[in-house]
Amino acid sequence: MIAKRKTSINKDQTGIYFVLPFIIIFLIFGLWPLINTFRLSLTDTQLMSRTQHYTGFRNFVLIFNDPSFLLSLKNTAKIWILNFIPQLGLALLFSVWFTSKRMNLKGVGFFRTIFYLPNILMPAAVAALFASLFDYYGPANQILVRMGVLDQAMQFFRNEGFTQAIVIYIQWFMWFGQTIIVLMAGMSSISGDFYESAMIDGATSGQMFRKITLPCIRPVMIYTLITSLVGGMQMFDIPFMLTDGRGAPNGSVMTANIFMYLKYSSNKGHIGLASTVGVVVFVITSAIALIVFKLLEDPDERIKKQMKKMEKRG
Amino acid sequence: MSSYRTETNILRTICYIVMIITTILCIAPIWLLFINATRSTPEIQSGVSLIPSNNFMVNYHILTNQGLNIWRAFGNSLYISIFSTAVGVYVSMMTAYGIKVYDFKGRKFLNNFILVLVLVPMQMSIIGFYQYMAKLGLLDSYIPLIIPAAASAATVFFALQYMESIIIKDLINAARIDGCTEFGIYNRIMVPIAAPGIFTLSIFGFVGSWNNFFTPFILISKMEKYTLPMLVQTLRGDTYKTEMGAIYLGLAISILPVVIVYLLFARYIVSGISMGAVKE
Repeated sequence: MIAKRKTSINKDQTGIYFVLPFIIIFLIFGLWPLINTFRLSLTDTQLMSRTQHYTGFRNFVLIFNDPSFLLSLKNTAKIWILNFIPQLGLALLFSVWFTSKRMNLKGVGFFRTIFYLPNILMPAAVAALFASLFDYYGPANQILVRMGVLDQAMQFFRNEGFTQAIVIYIQWFMWFGQTIIVLMAGMSSISGDFYESAMIDGATSGQMFRKITLPCIRPVMIYTLITSLVGGMQMFDIPFMLTDGRGAPNGSVMTANIFMYLKYSSNKGHIGLASTVGVVVFVITSAIALIVFKLLEDPDERIKKQMKKMEKRG
Repeated sequence: MSSYRTETNILRTICYIVMIITTILCIAPIWLLFINATRSTPEIQSGVSLIPSNNFMVNYHILTNQGLNIWRAFGNSLYISIFSTAVGVYVSMMTAYGIKVYDFKGRKFLNNFILVLVLVPMQMSIIGFYQYMAKLGLLDSYIPLIIPAAASAATVFFALQYMESIIIKDLINAARIDGCTEFGIYNRIMVPIAAPGIFTLSIFGFVGSWNNFFTPFILISKMEKYTLPMLVQTLRGDTYKTEMGAIYLGLAISILPVVIVYLLFARYIVSGISMGAVKE
């Protein structure tokens, strides 16, 4: 008995070799670049100059006094929120329909497959595609003029509102299918017994949705919210490729990430300032994500559960 | 009861109508993309068509004869995607296996750390990454595009959820008694058992790498090293401004492989998406 225990203890330490490649690569390609970004954000480093000086928080003061940066933060938040709310709303509606025993819809698998399709497309290509579709000579204008919605072709990308709307639409187009699938997985794991007893008690479908479905899929909704937030704050490809790469018209689709790129690619290559932008977005996003995570779900509970399961098996 | 049934039928009809409209919204842009790749620029500008035309070869000629080598970019993307997927999925699975099977020192910390890492926008450290790679002389190299895939918290997170559902402790112990080494157990027993999960993760890894624009865009500057998304960006430039047909064809070529993979393996992919989000 004692001997057996000893070998199993020895084996346990072998686990380190399994996780070592991850740790080493993370330290080199993940953690150090992050530290390096924080370090650069406190300097005036430029690509075109050899000297670099420690400037403390001057970069932070600089960018927070830059209206373009504040605009880019505002745009990023606006585009994300305006895409996320309809995305979640529609996904909730569709998931309820898809999992509803009463509706018993046919072809759910087919529809799900189609709705997810846009998500795997190359964002750069999707942006280029929508740029062509909404071009002055593009199909959107042709259809709208022919249908009589517009009197004459429209310069969509000269209008701030339309350009933002197109970015929001693309984001929605690419992500609502993913949200449906995740929410559906959450809904179909709810026990049917809950609904049965609720029905016996005379609950309406609205009540069942609010009192059973929503609370049960809370963890899944938190997952969706956080992953969407983290992704949305890094938005780059679509607004960058859709117009001139500078967030035209009038910076209406200039996201924080585009602003960072503009600082990096400016003729002096001000990577110190660009790093500061990265740090600010990193800190804001991480803080919001962690707060949301802590507020809405108790991660310790989940980990504890996992640990208990492991102990039982081990 | 019959009014309940009529109500259900009406609701069901509404559902189908909404779903069909949404299906059209999803497919129409992609369909137009492929159709327009076969049409000439004047045709494209004169109206919408849902059936292909016969201008494919001309478009192809324009696309490939104005200084852009789309097939080289295609090859570059394929190379990066295959290697980064292989490295990423293998190391992530191994990490997840290590965390789930062995109770080594710091295991708990690592597990929690990976969970936190998922919540953090690592892409925002790109400038520090760039400057560091420049120092190491790795700009215009594919190493920074391939190796970091092995340190993706999201992939490990998925792998952790998956491993939890397939690890059989007794099997591992039986293999130990038979004299199998610890890495032998992983490579010869766990990897075959985990094949479906490895496959799903590989598809996600491949698609992610294939579609990645930002990282190569920052790191790569040599034209012959361009990846496909970078080429798409160049296509948007001046040379092709008036060649709509060629642009559509270029876009079609960039999304086609992923669309084919998706249509072939949609079942695995759709079931894999919820893997990380829902437990059991």
